[in-house]
Amino acid sequence: MRFVIRRLALFAVALFGISLVVFVALRILPGDVASIMAGLNSPPERVAALREQLGLNRSLPAQYADWVSALCHGDFGTSVLTGRSVGAQVGARAQVTFPLITLGLLIAMALGIPLGCAAALARKPAVRAAFHVVAIIGGSVPALWGGLLMILLFSRGSGLIAVFPSQGFPQAGWSDPGAAMMSLILPACTVGIIVGAGLMRYTRAALAQTAQSDAVAMAMACGMTRTQAILRVGLRLATAQLVSVIGLTFAEMITGVMVIENLFALPGIGAGLITDVGNRDLIAVQSELFMLAAFFLAIGLIVDLLHRVLDPRLQSAGDNAEVNA
Amino acid sequence: MSEHTGAYDNTDATTTSASTDASLESRAKTPQRGPKRWLWVIIAAIVVIGIVIALAITGRKGSDTNTASTNNADSTVTIGLKLAPTNLDIRNTAGSAIDQILIGNVYEGLVARDENNQVVPAIAKSWEHSADGLTYTFHLNENMTFSNGDKLTAEDVAWSINQLIKNQYHDADSLNMVKSVAADDDANTVTITLNTANSNLLWTLTGRPGLVFDKDAKYDAKTEAIGSGPYTVAKFVANDSITLKANANYWGSHKAKTATIIVRYLADDNAAVNALKSGDVQVLAPITENLAEPFTADSAHYTVKAGDDTDKYVLAFNNAGEKTSDKRVRQAIRYAINHKELIASRGGSDKALGGPIPSLDPGYEDLTNLYPYDLDKAKALMAQAGYSEDKPLQLSLTYANIYGTELGDQLRSQLQKIGIDLKVNVVEFSTWLQDVYTNKDYDLSLVDHNESHDFYQWADPTYYYGYDNKDVQDLYAKAIAATSDEERDQLLAQAAKVVSEDAPADWLFNYRVTTAWVKGVNGFPVNLNQTLLPLYNVTYTKQ
Repeated sequence: MRFVIRRLALFAVALFGISLVVFVALRILPGDVASIMAGLNSPPERVAALREQLGLNRSLPAQYADWVSALCHGDFGTSVLTGRSVGAQVGARAQVTFPLITLGLLIAMALGIPLGCAAALARKPAVRAAFHVVAIIGGSVPALWGGLLMILLFSRGSGLIAVFPSQGFPQAGWSDPGAAMMSLILPACTVGIIVGAGLMRYTRAALAQTAQSDAVAMAMACGMTRTQAILRVGLRLATAQLVSVIGLTFAEMITGVMVIENLFALPGIGAGLITDVGNRDLIAVQSELFMLAAFFLAIGLIVDLLHRVLDPRLQSAGDNAEVNA
Repeated sequence: MSEHTGAYDNTDATTTSASTDASLESRAKTPQRGPKRWLWVIIAAIVVIGIVIALAITGRKGSDTNTASTNNADSTVTIGLKLAPTNLDIRNTAGSAIDQILIGNVYEGLVARDENNQVVPAIAKSWEHSADGLTYTFHLNENMTFSNGDKLTAEDVAWSINQLIKNQYHDADSLNMVKSVAADDDANTVTITLNTANSNLLWTLTGRPGLVFDKDAKYDAKTEAIGSGPYTVAKFVANDSITLKANANYWGSHKAKTATIIVRYLADDNAAVNALKSGDVQVLAPITENLAEPFTADSAHYTVKAGDDTDKYVLAFNNAGEKTSDKRVRQAIRYAINHKELIASRGGSDKALGGPIPSLDPGYEDLTNLYPYDLDKAKALMAQAGYSEDKPLQLSLTYANIYGTELGDQLRSQLQKIGIDLKVNVVEFSTWLQDVYTNKDYDLSLVDHNESHDFYQWADPTYYYGYDNKDVQDLYAKAIAATSDEERDQLLAQAAKVVSEDAPADWLFNYRVTTAWVKGVNGFPVNLNQTLLPLYNVTYTKQ
């Protein structure tokens, strides 16, 4: 319990730090939303008037204070350009990005973990090398190229096996679940293969490490085969490590799938962030970055907590130290 | 490998079953299934994914037939465009994407423009002006309504223009010469009085300054739009899509022929092409010319057409800059640019442009012969200015990343031949706005000036070009004060020639928009369709 409280306190401090860094970093960018709104060929007075109207000429500490106090009330602000609440905007985009990365991660796990296990178990050098090559190729495919390949192979219209839509998210969104799901399959497979290759390497490395451990040796001494020992004992020991990797990968994918979102014309979080930065819609950008950072931290927190569930030794080392003594 | 483990399993089984320890034995049995379990997990995962895909496919098919049946009931056309509006606030937010989708579709102006950039009637059915060009009287149509059912009267027209001037909405400065706008509801006329004659007035009123809004309507202009046009905005997703529905209260002759038009904004060129190929959009405007080839080849199913436009790719030289204030350097650059090569590499549809006025604007004249491609002349001029290939001139070119990197690379290699070492900075548009446009801190800049009737840029020494020529300013002032179109056109042509001779910039080309659509689509505008896209005539019958 004490551990959870300590972690939550750290979480709050980190959020505060992030808000400050994000705010300052964005103010260094050249250009502002007023000149974007005014556009080319409008007189400087108009830009000045817009700046006044949008509150851009107030002092920076005042702007920061306003933003943070609104954040404390759960209000992420209203985008100057679109006139909509940033929370709602991100929510709409999350409906594309989160299913996409969840599906992508599931595909990555379905590919990466079994292949990683197989690679760790393989004993013939030729087979190991083959797995290694697969991992390297999968991991070094640029997302854009992989996506294009997927489109050439499977997309409706231009693909060899014309099945899936290659771009866009249905107008109706998730109220048309079939179409929504279909539109995510090619991008999710692209992400899944690339992330899966990374996961495969992690799994192999983690298993190779635990395979050397006394626990596995003990299991084999008790009569398990090497395969059994690695999969039943080694994999169990490596789980904590893999959970960390998967958690962090998930968080990274939110912005990491941006290239994929662009290629498949999906209105996701990453694509939205780029548009907003381009338009210098700073209120939107700072709240979006803040939410992303908070999400990163939350994933970290969950991973830490999961570790303690998965590895009872951590608990006994922490809260129950006195029991050991 | 499976043989291997199988063999081990057998030996394990025999050894452990010999054990007398019950717990050890129970442990030993489960591992037998161990190696196979992960195989089962994979199989299960594949099956689950397979089922999901299969479900999704059938779900998709179901929805396809659904939309097909609604297509018959009330027609739908889906259009792919490129630049998305961030909001619908046409009075406050700049950007041609808003004009493109709203003017003529949702909002209507006092007057409008046709596809040849000529002024035609809209809210006003006719107009006349006094001999001195200071008083314009517009006679309005009868029985006009807004989409919310409100009557559109002369009051609304005068109120809209007066609000624009009073609140200094976007483009208000183009009505600086307006003295007053008065409505006469009984005569159904609007009278605009000017301080000075202005030959651009009518054309200006075809754009944002002439739009008519409902003075009694209250709505959030960023996300909604209430106008008198043939369409209403049914749904707007910023940076993504707009759904237009036919306006049931429409009063005029441009009645929507298609009930629903969905506009999707496809920023990525490849995604856009895929959308057309897969039938997700029926029209794509613009299509990157180099990607249009498969559609051009498949003329049985697609039509590809390039339309005229007023987009001028302006390579501006900082006329007040330290290195580019030397006219010889500017002239040398103009001689050294191989426009044919630039245009060919983009697909060949764009038109060479030798001066500041494109063919759809008044005062156009072919000026491409003023600075033909001539490397020797360019080198000689550079030598006079004191530079050569051994002693190159360092210049930087700053432009926004929306134009891609190819143009910068091509210009660098073309200018290298005459002893210019061009450093290309591709930046975000907002950075360009700040550094080049506002602070005028640049040597060379490249931008697509897509506006029509924008010659004033060359007559304004404070504009970012820093171009200051009294003759041009005088000619332009006279052209604006002209009371006949012929006189105006002649003066503008004269001014344009002087500008081009001074080489304050090079006009790389007049961009022509290529549009592609599937067979069965009719009535989609080709000319000027990036700023002016009336959709009332568009129909689609599935072939």
